[in-house]
Amino acid sequence: MQSRTLAVILLATITLCAPIPISYAGENVPRPTIGTQEIGLSAGYLFADCIKTKCKTKQSGPAFMPSWMMTMTDPIGGSWYQGQLSLGAEVVYIQFQEPVLSHGVGFTPKIKYTFVAPDRIRPYVEFAGGPFWNDLAGNIPEQHSQFNFILTAGLGISYFLTDQAAVNVGYRFQHISNAGTSSPNVGLNSSLPFAGFSFYF
Amino acid sequence: MRAKLLLQWTIFGCCGLIIALTTGCATWIELKAAPDSNQEPNVRVIARNEQVPLVMDSISNTRNGSPQNLSLETEQRLLGTLRRIGLFSHLGGTDSTEPPAGEKFVRARLLFDEDIDQHAGDKAWKSIVIGASMFILTPFIPLDYDYAAHMTLELERWDGQVKHYESQSAGTAHYQLFSATPLMVDELKGHVTESCLTALMQQMVRDTTFYSASSAPVLDRPIRSVSVKSNRSKLTPVPISTSSGK
Repeated sequence: MQSRTLAVILLATITLCAPIPISYAGENVPRPTIGTQEIGLSAGYLFADCIKTKCKTKQSGPAFMPSWMMTMTDPIGGSWYQGQLSLGAEVVYIQFQEPVLSHGVGFTPKIKYTFVAPDRIRPYVEFAGGPFWNDLAGNIPEQHSQFNFILTAGLGISYFLTDQAAVNVGYRFQHISNAGTSSPNVGLNSSLPFAGFSFYF
Repeated sequence: MRAKLLLQWTIFGCCGLIIALTTGCATWIELKAAPDSNQEPNVRVIARNEQVPLVMDSISNTRNGSPQNLSLETEQRLLGTLRRIGLFSHLGGTDSTEPPAGEKFVRARLLFDEDIDQHAGDKAWKSIVIGASMFILTPFIPLDYDYAAHMTLELERWDGQVKHYESQSAGTAHYQLFSATPLMVDELKGHVTESCLTALMQQMVRDTTFYSASSAPVLDRPIRSVSVKSNRSKLTPVPISTSSGK
């Protein structure tokens, strides 16, 4: 089931990226400046992160993350860490297939730092957090409330196909909990490898 | 009762959204121009047969102290402004050939220093605050982008006499998150550069008679001095002496 979902996500990403013309001649170094906007769509598969902690629920399922970002700065710094800061927001949709079929949707402001010293392969780190609604509540021992928060820390790599289009791959760590607004409040930790694409304009 | 409450909150929400979007999309540019850059260059009369050509010799551009590639846009703007004042008969860019020796012409060199402060650290903190507030604080947190320009124009007359003109201008773009566009920064740079060029032209026009063809004869020996200046050559050798006097 999981491998089929992964295959579907991969196929969808390739299909969506196929029309992007790869007209990269080397001189077209992407230079997003202040005010450059980025819209993107990422998809991945979420796994319960039970390596260090003992967790009763092993949630898993596909996740879709459409996002919007605004470039806040021109390149800052003058060494390998030279990069640009972006601020934006993301909608997170997770379809939990385990332990029971359920859904979660959240809205998270997101901050991203992209390292621009490498040419068209650009690593980045990102942090996001915001409210998250899901109907896992009641079906798992960790959470009894539908209203939760989701926190995300991730890193990834953008590969610029043109100066306005990039494909992204990365990994995210996600934490879902209700921030003590109700009891119990045992967080759900997950790993989320993802792939996606972005357009800059 | 419940429906009325819902309607009230919907109206409040819509009003809030409209206010946030309108105030959150504001942009304004504050220009700290040089005192003589606000007015158009003075008009001085020069006879057509008194006009000489001007050729751009070099344009040096630095940004925050580091040298940049030659900007054709800067050259075009300078030539455009010079054309507007009508002091010279013909204007040639850096790629054009100089008139033959023995002809009267003016050689121009421009040094263009840009200073950019994008308040990156400030923006990082403000981004966190805006994000943490779920964008609610966007209208109340302005972002800034400072740009300053300093131009030095050196004009060398056909007889070797040189005149220096200097001008500087600065400006700040204040904007909200949702109104940030690359165009806004270009607009700020355009205003500041224009202000600088206008101030330069003001000074040049005062010297109209200096550039008229009858102001000086052509030198018999057209000799041009050549010099190389390097910013890195400021290191002075330290004499090392060893003494064996014991």
